[in-house]
Amino acid sequence: MDLLNPYYLQIVMFFIINAIMGISIYFTLASGQLSLGAAGFMSVGAYVGAILSLKADLPIVLGIIIGGLVASLVAVIIGLPTTRLRGLYLAIATLGFGEVVRVIFLNLDITNGALGLSGIPSIPQELTNLAYELDMDGLMGIDAVAWGNLMAIIILLIILVLIIAFCVRINNSRVGRAFAAIKADDHAAELMGINVVYYKMMAFIIGAFIAGIGGGLYAHITNFINPTDFSYHKVVQILLFPVFGGSNVVWGSVLGSFILTLLPEVLRFLSDYRDIIYGALLVILMAVRPDGILTESMVDKISRKLGFKKAPYIPESQVLTERFEAYKRKQQEEKQG
Amino acid sequence: MFLQQLVNGLTLGSLYAVLAIGLTLVFGVLNIINMAHGGIFMIGAFVGLFMVTVFDVNIFVALIVAMAVGAILGYLLEFVALRPLRKKKVSHLAPLISTIGVSIFLESLALLLWGPQTRSFPPDYIGGLIDFGVFKISMVQIIGLGVSVVLMLILNIVIKKTKIGKAIRAVSMSTETAALLGINPTMIISVTVMIASALGAAAGVLVGLSFNAIEPTMGVIIGFKGLAVLILGGLGNITGAMVGGFILGVAEIFSVAYGASTFRDAVAFGLIILLLFWRPQGLFGSKDKGGRP
Repeated sequence: MDLLNPYYLQIVMFFIINAIMGISIYFTLASGQLSLGAAGFMSVGAYVGAILSLKADLPIVLGIIIGGLVASLVAVIIGLPTTRLRGLYLAIATLGFGEVVRVIFLNLDITNGALGLSGIPSIPQELTNLAYELDMDGLMGIDAVAWGNLMAIIILLIILVLIIAFCVRINNSRVGRAFAAIKADDHAAELMGINVVYYKMMAFIIGAFIAGIGGGLYAHITNFINPTDFSYHKVVQILLFPVFGGSNVVWGSVLGSFILTLLPEVLRFLSDYRDIIYGALLVILMAVRPDGILTESMVDKISRKLGFKKAPYIPESQVLTERFEAYKRKQQEEKQG
Repeated sequence: MFLQQLVNGLTLGSLYAVLAIGLTLVFGVLNIINMAHGGIFMIGAFVGLFMVTVFDVNIFVALIVAMAVGAILGYLLEFVALRPLRKKKVSHLAPLISTIGVSIFLESLALLLWGPQTRSFPPDYIGGLIDFGVFKISMVQIIGLGVSVVLMLILNIVIKKTKIGKAIRAVSMSTETAALLGINPTMIISVTVMIASALGAAAGVLVGLSFNAIEPTMGVIIGFKGLAVLILGGLGNITGAMVGGFILGVAEIFSVAYGASTFRDAVAFGLIILLLFWRPQGLFGSKDKGGRP
């Protein structure tokens, strides 16, 4: 089957990993913090996972989870001072953290410096072996390699769905409301009794954990990593996913990574002009839809159309306007009558 | 040895300072970080190089032409990527992405036009070394340091003494109040972005001259350092950008000279992380700038 060639399947895998990375940025953005440390945490997760499964022969799953945990541990240390910073200062401090991590990995022996780690056990490869063992080669006209890749995609999808579900659930909880309040105005949130530093820290650490998991998955899919994979370019690339797709909703990261992973492949026929068009497209999109493609009200509309939500949607501003209009009408009636 | 390294550090630092002043000027009036600054810097370097190699002009003429091209690019940047956003009252993220788009555009345009290879100024283009006994300084370094200092002085005079400088300062304090007082903020913002971009292009020529390596990707790496200086000095503060530039230049050269050469690129951000513990608003920054994303 033509659709199942490894190249397409690999693009799908990268899309899912990108979506996970996008969500890790979205998560910190949801609490009003612009953290650009995602590439740093991703590299921590990737290196820890890769070293554990390369040198300590740990199972891949365990390696990835430990990678995520180590990334969140690093986030605790980095977060203690940086979550007290605001706005662009936080952005650049975390950007700097990523750069420092990259240089450290470049100079350590265990990470093999600039050469990077190669021969990391790859998830699709392992699953392909499994497919051979289970005698799935040629089953339904699909060969074992495609089966391996498909199973890897399914596993990745399950992880992505779990993360999205986690985000959606948290948005409707006490924690999510605290995040929203801090995002809207952290002074006001503090006055209302929300422990701002605690919640910011929480978002930062969870974001780092997701990024670490994403990094671990990345390492075990490409089976080769080196420090330049996690440079400044990566940070920008990851940041683009939520901002392009819509930074106020979790689906924005998914849509953004879908479009931005696919776009370079689709524009491949333009070869040399590809990046120029990519850059121009970003400028145009920001001019037309500065909040990204998906906004909260749009997601709400769509989910009502699909029948997930019943109650009619009235945006906050509209509620106020309606009240004001009603008040004006009443006054006019009083004047007339 | 120490003195020699100090001279090298100050020369490098003066280039960083010119670069960072452009960023800080734009931040001052617009409250955004101009990620396209590195792109304009790179284009400036190429323009300077071509003026020298193709048209065979004096380096100072090349510098002025590069600055003019930088200013034009700055105007286009403001017109295309920033003005439409400003009308819409958007978050800080949108202009950030928009300028990133411009920087990707410029970098890939340069790659397309001039290819990925590293170019350099003709060998022995500008003089040799001058030996002062305790330290040596090359003509290139003298030009770099001299031009940077002159540019900074001119900028200081423009900002402090002229009418347009006053208007820039007014707009950076409060756009609304400045508009009420009869200043045209749109015009001032355009002018500021143009000045900043001209400075960026000048820094491009000078850096290209001193490192003698000009390539399309140079903008990102150096632009990154510019960000470091910006934070070090405090967002939107011109004195901060100057001092921060010199501190970073000296710190980098010393870290290379005394051991940790492989950690050179981490020095900038190591400094910043340390500084942010102690003074979160930067060396010269005020607390009310750059608060919210």
